[in-house]
Amino acid sequence: MKKIIWFTVLTVLGIVFVAPAILSAALPMIPAGVQPGYNPNMRLSIYSDRVFVQKFTSKINNLTAIGLSIRNPNLKNQSDVIFNIYNLDGTLLRGITISGRNLEDGSFIKLVFPPIADSLNKEYLFSLSTPGAGAEETIEVFLTSMPGESGIIDYSYDGETHSGGTPIVLYGKPESKLATITSVYTSWLSKLLLHR
Amino acid sequence: MKKLLILAIVLRLMVAGFLFHPDIKTFNFQASFLKKGVFNIYSYLTDNKSSLSLKEEYVYFPLAYFTLGVHQIIASPILGSGFDKWLGNADSGTVTLNPNIFKYLLVLKLPYLILDIAVAFILLKFFDDKEKGKKAFTIWLFNPFTIFIIYAFGNIDIFPVFITLISFLLIKKERLLLAAATLGIAAGFKLYPLLFVPFLVLVGKNIREKILLGGIPFLIFGTISLPFLSQAFIQSTLVSGLTTRIFNPGFNVGFGESIIIGLMLFSALFFNALLIDKKPNLLNYWIVLLLIIFSFSHFHIAWLLWIAPFAVILCVKKSQLSLSIFLLALASVLIPLFYQDRSMSISLYRIYSTWFDLLPTPFIAIQKFFDPYNLQSILHSVFAGGAGIITYMIFKKSEEDKNFKKK
Repeated sequence: MKKIIWFTVLTVLGIVFVAPAILSAALPMIPAGVQPGYNPNMRLSIYSDRVFVQKFTSKINNLTAIGLSIRNPNLKNQSDVIFNIYNLDGTLLRGITISGRNLEDGSFIKLVFPPIADSLNKEYLFSLSTPGAGAEETIEVFLTSMPGESGIIDYSYDGETHSGGTPIVLYGKPESKLATITSVYTSWLSKLLLHR
Repeated sequence: MKKLLILAIVLRLMVAGFLFHPDIKTFNFQASFLKKGVFNIYSYLTDNKSSLSLKEEYVYFPLAYFTLGVHQIIASPILGSGFDKWLGNADSGTVTLNPNIFKYLLVLKLPYLILDIAVAFILLKFFDDKEKGKKAFTIWLFNPFTIFIIYAFGNIDIFPVFITLISFLLIKKERLLLAAATLGIAAGFKLYPLLFVPFLVLVGKNIREKILLGGIPFLIFGTISLPFLSQAFIQSTLVSGLTTRIFNPGFNVGFGESIIIGLMLFSALFFNALLIDKKPNLLNYWIVLLLIIFSFSHFHIAWLLWIAPFAVILCVKKSQLSLSIFLLALASVLIPLFYQDRSMSISLYRIYSTWFDLLPTPFIAIQKFFDPYNLQSILHSVFAGGAGIITYMIFKKSEEDKNFKKK
């Protein structure tokens, strides 16, 4: 009976304390926050030479992905969708091309690219375009009036610049597995201590 | 024994407080309407669907609603004013960020803990041999399977499991009519205990008792359900889960007809008891009946609890089967973890961090090098095969026992 007691104690401790550490170590990236809320009726259409450019401050180091919600109405866009990240001086840092075929209507997608080192608190631009699409094959991004801590500053579209932009989530590559595990347990424990 | 009990409770509290499945929030949101005076939850949810933040149907039977609702009323001073807001929060992203979630989960799972420990004590008393009783008590308290199923997933199955076990204790004490009544009460939480009624009828001593044994459970179940009988009730309870999954057609015999494997084996089991066994050992039949259900249906992980106390009794009675039962338990718990549903695996850990939402489910991770459905099928087939041999061993040993008695 002692064996079964030990087995159960170790299994439960494994489930409660070890499994979260393993999950933390397996995280390929960590988010800098949550996606700000947005009004689904406030959208901008992207097609042909209508390019959407977003200025933002990276709230995380080793920026490796940007998540945002994109519409592909009636899944009509089948063209290439080009996503580029630039320095403020216009130097292209990273570029990704995905097919419109892979864009579901309204889904949250993560655009993943090789990490940008020392990105914390630096300002960047990203552009989203689909030059091969006509006016009937647009993709759309949502606009938010509550940018929160997302890091968005302003956006340019059709020759005009406005404050705010599209609700994004920035992701960074973890500094180390140990740092991620520590971070997960710290936030969990702080929540446990806040517990009333 | 006291130390063991304390250790067992500590282990359970850890899993109860730290692991979260969203179902417990959903059905407690629905049960919270009792304190607002809602009697018929089925029609209330249907009538007010558009204005409710969570729009799911209430899939359990009435006693579950009233038990959970009364528990919330009693626990409301501890739960505090923000509890109802948390229950009604439809934003899955922020539900686990609430720092009170530990308290909420511990309080909501407290009835499970009470019944779980009560099951251990019933098992202790189930055997005439004190040593065997202690063994059953320890196995129940110290097996990771029931702890994980009860406290991580937080379903209500421990209620009917507890009552069904009482029913078996009454059968053992030959108080059959009372046992039949408790089966009816258990069905007031979940329907599955009624599956056992045909076997209970067989042990009736005369026609009158057989009729009573067959009628009482349905009468009590009917009395519990009748005030709620409506389209909404039937749609939410009878047309969901168990009935549709157990009676899932197996193979086609042409012209739209098919043989339902689970039901076919259920029928075979019943006729074996009726025509061959004559005086069936009800415990064995109950275990085999549940093994048939798990072998031939796409079961919910919480259903595994139905068999757990009886598997413990079997482990104690026939210790040579313990390892096999352990392996089958392992296979059966693993199958649902490989479902595509996030809340069956990774999402259980959202209290620790919502970052885990970035991780693929075991289903997606396996998909990169193997078909996860195939893996589920392999595990399920292994389980079904093992269950077949366990069934054979159960009945074979019963024969030996009979021969031994004859000698």
